[in-house]
Amino acid sequence: MKIKALDHKGMKVIALSGEIDMYSSPALREELMGLVHEKVTPLLVDLKGVTYIDSSGIAVFVEGLKKMMPYGGRLKLIGLLESVREIFSFSKLDRVFEIYGSLEDALNS
Amino acid sequence: MKDIVVIKVQSNPKYLSIVRGVTAKMGEIYGLSDSATEDVRLAVDEACSNVIKHAYEGDITQNIIVKFRMSRKGFEVLIEDRGLKAHPESMEGRDLNDIRPGGLGLHLIKRAFDIFTFDDRKKKGNRLRLVRFRR
Repeated sequence: MKIKALDHKGMKVIALSGEIDMYSSPALREELMGLVHEKVTPLLVDLKGVTYIDSSGIAVFVEGLKKMMPYGGRLKLIGLLESVREIFSFSKLDRVFEIYGSLEDALNS
Repeated sequence: MKDIVVIKVQSNPKYLSIVRGVTAKMGEIYGLSDSATEDVRLAVDEACSNVIKHAYEGDITQNIIVKFRMSRKGFEVLIEDRGLKAHPESMEGRDLNDIRPGGLGLHLIKRAFDIFTFDDRKKKGNRLRLVRFRR
């Protein structure tokens, strides 16, 4: 998995690519929680390059979202491939996360 | 007659991608659909992650043996370790309506496989047997 932290029109974007599993999720957690600690909002996560996610990756996003809630933070997930989106759907997390097709859609919401 | 493939990997999470790759290939050879292959790949990954976390308590120097057995009846995966005994009676995935980190892996394993059992004849460690019947 590769992580790129970007600024897009003044907003923080984490762009991920590759596979998120038990091996790579600790690096994702460190990146995400660093921004959550700074109370960054909205926090955009571009997942269109992510081809695989396991429960450890899902757990990182759930933890991040839960920690953002007390300060009204918004975590927006963008560009999920069908196979990744299906995991969110199966685990009923598509009802909890803000999921967008594109960065522009996420920025305009 | 069963076709059998066996792989042995170190209990280091960096090798989970190898397990996934082999699992996906075995699913393809067996003739699973693309979506079933993805489900099985994820389930085997989750099961091996559980071995690292729970049976080996994060020790990355141990071994995991994954055996694939393919027959007309179904697609079978045996996952063996020599770590702490699992307690299947206390294994329970979280309620999917209870949104919190963790507790999802077991659901992902059980949706892919029709049989999820631990072989209690194994003296040291665990042998998890997963079977997906031909559909």
